[in-house]
Amino acid sequence: MPPTARQAAARATGPAPRRALVLGGNRIPFARAGGAYARSSNQDMLTAALDGLVARYGLQGETIGEVAAGAVLKHSRDFNLTRESVLGSSLAPTTPAFDLQQACATGLETVVSLANKIRLGQLESAIAGGVDSTSDAPVAVSDRLRRALLEASRARSAGARLAALAKVRPRDLAPATPRTDEPRTGLSMGEHQALTTAQWGISREAQDELALASHQRLAAAWDAGFFDDLVTPYRGQTQDGNLRRDTSLEKLAALRPTFGLALDTPATMTAGNSTPLTDGAATVLLGSESWAAAHDVTPLAAVVDAEAGAVDFVHGVDGLLMAPAFAVPRLLARNGLTLDDFAYVEIHEAFASTVLTTLAAWESEQFGRERLGLDGAFGKVDPARLNVHGSSLAAGHPFAATGGRIVATVSKELHRARVAAPGGPPIRALVSVCAAGGLGLTAILEAA
Amino acid sequence: MTAAVPPTGDGLGDRRVVTLPAVPALGGLYVKGLAGVATSVVGRRLGRGSGALPDVAYEVAGVRADAARLTAYQHLVGESASDALPAGFVHVLAFPLAVAVMTTPGFPFPLVGAVHVANRVEQHREARLDEPLTLRAWSQGLRSHRAGTQAELVVTASDADGERVWTGVSTYLAKGVHLTDRPGPADDPAEERTPFVAPVPTGRWQLPADEGRLYAAVSGDRNPIHVSSLAAKGFGFPRAIAHGMDTAARALAAVGAAHGPAFVWTAEFARPVLLPGSPAVRVARDVDGFAYAVWDARSGKPHLTGTVRPV
Amino acid sequence: MGDRYLDLVNHGFAAKVAKQLGLPRPVPLRRYVPGQPLVDGPLLVLGAGDDADAVARLLSGPAGGAGGPVLDGWDLDVHRRPTAGARYAAVVVVLTGLTHPSQLAEPMLAAGSVLRELASAGRIVTISRAATAADAPAVAAARQGVDGMLRSLAKELRGGSTANGIVLADGVPVQAAAAVALLRFLLSRRSAFVDGQLLTVDSEAGTLPTDWDRPLAGQVAVVTGAARGIGEAIAATLARDGATVVAVDVPAAGEQLAAVANRVRGTALQLDVTAADAGARILEHALQRHGRLDVVVHNAGIMRDKLLANMTPDRWESVLAVNIGAQLAINEALLTSGDFTAAPRIVALASTSGIAGNRGQTNYGASKGGVIGMVRATAPLLAPFGGTANAVAPGFIETDMTAHIPPVTRQIARRLNSLQQGGQPVDVAETVAFLASPAACGFQGRVLRVCGQNMVGQ
Repeated sequence: MPPTARQAAARATGPAPRRALVLGGNRIPFARAGGAYARSSNQDMLTAALDGLVARYGLQGETIGEVAAGAVLKHSRDFNLTRESVLGSSLAPTTPAFDLQQACATGLETVVSLANKIRLGQLESAIAGGVDSTSDAPVAVSDRLRRALLEASRARSAGARLAALAKVRPRDLAPATPRTDEPRTGLSMGEHQALTTAQWGISREAQDELALASHQRLAAAWDAGFFDDLVTPYRGQTQDGNLRRDTSLEKLAALRPTFGLALDTPATMTAGNSTPLTDGAATVLLGSESWAAAHDVTPLAAVVDAEAGAVDFVHGVDGLLMAPAFAVPRLLARNGLTLDDFAYVEIHEAFASTVLTTLAAWESEQFGRERLGLDGAFGKVDPARLNVHGSSLAAGHPFAATGGRIVATVSKELHRARVAAPGGPPIRALVSVCAAGGLGLTAILEAA
Repeated sequence: MTAAVPPTGDGLGDRRVVTLPAVPALGGLYVKGLAGVATSVVGRRLGRGSGALPDVAYEVAGVRADAARLTAYQHLVGESASDALPAGFVHVLAFPLAVAVMTTPGFPFPLVGAVHVANRVEQHREARLDEPLTLRAWSQGLRSHRAGTQAELVVTASDADGERVWTGVSTYLAKGVHLTDRPGPADDPAEERTPFVAPVPTGRWQLPADEGRLYAAVSGDRNPIHVSSLAAKGFGFPRAIAHGMDTAARALAAVGAAHGPAFVWTAEFARPVLLPGSPAVRVARDVDGFAYAVWDARSGKPHLTGTVRPV
Repeated sequence: MGDRYLDLVNHGFAAKVAKQLGLPRPVPLRRYVPGQPLVDGPLLVLGAGDDADAVARLLSGPAGGAGGPVLDGWDLDVHRRPTAGARYAAVVVVLTGLTHPSQLAEPMLAAGSVLRELASAGRIVTISRAATAADAPAVAAARQGVDGMLRSLAKELRGGSTANGIVLADGVPVQAAAAVALLRFLLSRRSAFVDGQLLTVDSEAGTLPTDWDRPLAGQVAVVTGAARGIGEAIAATLARDGATVVAVDVPAAGEQLAAVANRVRGTALQLDVTAADAGARILEHALQRHGRLDVVVHNAGIMRDKLLANMTPDRWESVLAVNIGAQLAINEALLTSGDFTAAPRIVALASTSGIAGNRGQTNYGASKGGVIGMVRATAPLLAPFGGTANAVAPGFIETDMTAHIPPVTRQIARRLNSLQQGGQPVDVAETVAFLASPAACGFQGRVLRVCGQNMVGQ
């Protein structure tokens, strides 16, 4: 039996798992690198985000089933980042925690894995999250210095120690700053996406329009107070620092391209239609139905299902950030759904063109037939349903924090839609996050 | 182009096998090699080299790789550290033997200054750190080239049972050296390269200024044009250049585990990568295995191209 | 906020100099700590009649005594006449039976005879009846005479002692829950900065707590402007008294708000009180998260001082919108919801500026005067549900806001009251907590000043 058929059979015969519910969220406003959080560590920011969640839901001294979070850029001292943040928060010190890391999908993966534990009955409550600081990123010493230091620390005599240290040359003292290049290709994420952008022929105008919509929608959501119960200010930052209320197509069009300059196609990716380096943290409160009822919390949405994917970008088979283009069709097929069944589609805006290449692939007959094994194109996403409150282009993208931001935001929106249309058919959201290493993680949420 | 070496049999022909007690030290060989430059200056002035390759093959048995050096090599070229010897590492291991051949009296052109123009490795199975290898090296295929003279250095690695594990053929070109007793270059169709068109890259390498020194440390190939920009200038390069086999090994590493334990790995070196350099790279599946190319991202001119295909 | 002068005149050489120069010598006020005795020493209950006997019984009776919670005794050492050598912690003068001003002489002179021996941080509390136009002139004169006498007496006291009056409206017995609770409040250290005030008990409404240290146990209270200063202290004090606190402040103050909510183990609600749906969201949050709403404290307020001659529309309008407009809108939402009906209590923050006025604060004064009018008119709307609305008017309180007053002005402002110092946020919070307690339903639309008997105004 092929795996999917086996899963389907297990699904059909096994006991129906419990629902795992998104109960709320809290994040700190995202700040531009070197901005308000320049001196804050990942642990500081994650603790602040947790404390805001605790304050919003009155969880002081509460033992939560498990807290899972992570960071993409991580100091070695943060080997137990989440647990340390829990200990620094107002949660009960008896709350267990674990760290998780899946590049930019870290935040969404914490939601998925904790939701699965809730569905299995292992947990009643959980907090998912993520944090990243590009301002307080770890700076490593050079390999030669590191090796010399390690050798010296292992040395048994002063002489041996000196001999080890004597190998250090002045140039070895220069710090090795972290690289965000893909280790196997040496290309930055932007250069990779530039290749994909060129492959799919995504225009500069389309990218700028998407970026503008992101800023406009995020600004509108802030102005409407939508984030009043999703965000807690931190260090004087009261709104997302990257949000540009005054941007326009003209301003975006005036920016010089930054990626794909070496390609023989026109360079279309600019700082305006790419996400900037950002600092921030986000958390999501998850729980079972009984826990939610016992704690008087109204469930916002249920985590229905999730699917991870990956592509072979090392050998140029697919673009680095195209994994969701494959994962989503599998996810929807398993759940018997089409794109039309979703009231909201959240596609993480790593770059404007990431969203547009994904949509283009889904709309392509050829891609549908040859790569997805379908009869034709996978489908089309109504732009009105896409990233309705803006996404990473406007909010910024502290890597591991983005999943939590999206899940909390869209869950609130799902609940709002449910309240506006009680008793109607299911209201669903599709969440898609691409990640370094050719990864992608996608999930289905449904209004509770 | 490189000529095939039969995978079985010794391929030695009627060459005299000289068994050496150990792999010679490269330092001494380079001294000999540089001496070769001096003597061949006369020859080059005369515009001719000696007419034949030495009919000798060197052999060393019981060769074992050093774990620390292997690990350093693996990390440098992008392989995961393990006890399996990368195909490029066997080349490094046997390189001094090949150099010994090239510095044998009577070899038609000097080692230093000879250009590595192509390489072909056939790996029959993965060699392992803990197994003793028997290495053999000899030269073959001396012929005229329109730019000079080229010859192939053949290296084989066999296991304790005498089974061939690995065969490498490196083609070297001595520019400006013309054989006295051979006719001018034949119109070898393989020489008629299709013009290189830069493909869509899959990556870009960042090769630091000391890349040559780093590769020299793990390979032992301290050819001055790789480690010193001054020396490189002496040979007509503006800066130090990357070892060809370093770049080819990186391409092989980029193919990854998909090449399996047995494969043929070829490289044709066009123009060298100046250090520091950040050449564009494409490593992608083609009809039958993988093809790769490394080129100057700005000019679009190739540094090397090659394939990794199943045997 | 530090008061260096207060620290200085209470230590060493500077204390002596200040005494010889006749400079103000404020003493550090002692504040309430749960579990501490109500008073440190014997009490003197003066006055004759049933009410005086009832009060003496209440104060001296055994804890858990018969006769219901009102007569549940407080087990204190009570004297009915001055005893030589006694150092009284408090004097309660029961004057409810006055029919002529001449009757004030005996109890007040008796009280005066023990004032020199009054313990530091002592308490004088009068209990009298409200003078009304329906009274016989002599009765009204006697009753109103208590007012002037009490305010003068308060100005005479030193050493952190205070004098305050309980005024019983017509027909309200001395055992009324609000009267009993007020007596306890005024005797306790909760009222440390309340001085020279008379508060009228309007009805018998209200219930006494089973635990005087946790009068708000089981209650849910919303505090606006809770992120800092007085609001933060109110949240902490209500929580200490047993309430579950919903801490509300503008989203921009969310970081401090979260810290407050976590400290008081309540919930944070980021909300601009001037938002159209503020009342609905407050109610929704309280009901959904905590199942009920008992108390709303309107503390959020802003200052945009400017002489009226230089006033700008935005300064005027924003102050009015936040300080009174939001309170009116939220109250209306609560009152019309049908979910704020179980002895609901509203406590609003007024200001001495709203009573006596302050130069440069026409906008602020209008808003704070408005608060006083608002509670007066709102209390009758809540009375049918056993609820009430009252206001607290702080005087000079040491907060971030007053820390920005120029130093000399600040030093003078601090001394302009009978206690010769600024109050602390907790002093306001204690009074808010008192008026938020279930017993306080007997006060209908009243204003209690927390000003150390500021020179200005009433």
